[in-house]
Amino acid sequence: MECKVRTLANVVLIEVEGRIDHSTAPAFGSALLPHVDGCANDDKKLLLDLSKVNYMSSAGLRVLMIAAKGCRKQGGKMVLAALQSTVQEVFKIGRFDMVLETYGTVREALAAISPAAASLYGNG
Amino acid sequence: MAAPTLDAVAHCTEFAAAQARAAGFGVARVHEIELVVEEIVANICRYSYADQNGSVELCCERLDGETLALEFIDRGCAFNILAMPDPDLSGDIDQRDVGGVGVPVLRALMDQASYRRDRACNILRVIVHAAPRLGAEPTAT
Repeated sequence: MECKVRTLANVVLIEVEGRIDHSTAPAFGSALLPHVDGCANDDKKLLLDLSKVNYMSSAGLRVLMIAAKGCRKQGGKMVLAALQSTVQEVFKIGRFDMVLETYGTVREALAAISPAAASLYGNG
Repeated sequence: MAAPTLDAVAHCTEFAAAQARAAGFGVARVHEIELVVEEIVANICRYSYADQNGSVELCCERLDGETLALEFIDRGCAFNILAMPDPDLSGDIDQRDVGGVGVPVLRALMDQASYRRDRACNILRVIVHAAPRLGAEPTAT
């Protein structure tokens, strides 16, 4: 599991790759949760690109819920994009699709949360 | 045999996935079986052994070309994952607990399951058929 972080205007884009299971979930949390702190400063938004996540168990869902709650508590926003179909199905079972905002692609997510970031996407 | 640490989760998951692939199960169903095994072994570690040292055995039996039986045996305190209540998933994000979705995921992906306690062992038997329980096809990589 790897996380790459990019900043596009006011969006922190975190590109996640690999499996998120009980062994990698702690590292996923360590990579993600520091960006939750202060996530509302300067109208910042968090966007997780999950297009390269091919497996996510309840351990990964737990990290996402902690992050989403943390953002909400601070008045910030965290959205997800490009979930693979198998991850989408697990989301549905846990009804995470009802509480977390998801988009089909990173570009759609950026267009929704930050036009400024959307204009920079793919240019860098 | 494997110690109930995160290594045990990985070892058991990899073993079950290999057995499912050898039985000709498709990629989607192998993925689902990995989720089943991960949830079961992680919960054994947490509840049967309270995250202390112990052992977990996973036996895999091919019942027919389309069905595997996975049997988990541990020697921890009495723990039946099948009796765990479903969490309340109906609330908004403020009302939701951070965890607890492992059991619904497990229930959605198993075909049959049974539990018994025998001579201080927990024995969980899970039947998985080859057909995926979820509708998704895995994204090609």
